[in-house]
Amino acid sequence: MANIITAGNSTNGGTAITTDTSGTLNIVTGSGSGATAISVDASQATVFAAGVSGTTGSFSGNMSFNSGYGSAAVAYGCRAWVNFNGTGTVAIRGSGNVTSITDNGTGEYTVNFTSAITDANYATVLGQERTRASSDAGFVGSYSQSTTSVRINTRNIAGALIDFEGVDVAVFR
Amino acid sequence: MKRIIYPTDDGGVAIIVPAAECGLTIEQIAAKDVPSGKSYKIVDVADIPSDRTFRDAWEYA
Repeated sequence: MANIITAGNSTNGGTAITTDTSGTLNIVTGSGSGATAISVDASQATVFAAGVSGTTGSFSGNMSFNSGYGSAAVAYGCRAWVNFNGTGTVAIRGSGNVTSITDNGTGEYTVNFTSAITDANYATVLGQERTRASSDAGFVGSYSQSTTSVRINTRNIAGALIDFEGVDVAVFR
Repeated sequence: MKRIIYPTDDGGVAIIVPAAECGLTIEQIAAKDVPSGKSYKIVDVADIPSDRTFRDAWEYA
């Protein structure tokens, strides 16, 4: 048992508060199912239940946390990312806030964002993936940064455009 | 799986590879990511050669 706050719904006729002496606070959404969305125990540890809408909420202020950093500090988010293979059939392996990549030619790509970045002054972090240690080494560069897309190209150490086996792109702002 | 192709200004072809996680349809991605004024086609991924040796010689047809 725990202290329970249940949002108002057609079942309980309004916000319901149930109390006990456990020291744990549970907040239940108004679905009427009784599923706990957020739980705060006596040590103030907060748990967001998996799979509930609360885990996909938004936060308009600065979010600070420690999580091994040493002190609570504002954390800056990765606003878009994509991992794709650049050889054979070019395909996206995984992504976030990316609708597509455009294959413009050998070693030339455009990453297209789903939601625009607030401005073009973001940091684009790039990586080359190789499936073998003996694969060609090279460089990845970004250019033409805009709020809706960023172009990248991949080159070997001689400076020629080549396709990499895998490319990682992350945008921080 | 589908791809969107459109001609580039230098006579080549650009290929848009959709992100499965984005939640948009292929038509919505085309409307958003194909440059304004460009004609485009939606094709099967099997229609795109996997041998990229001469990628820069590919043309839009």
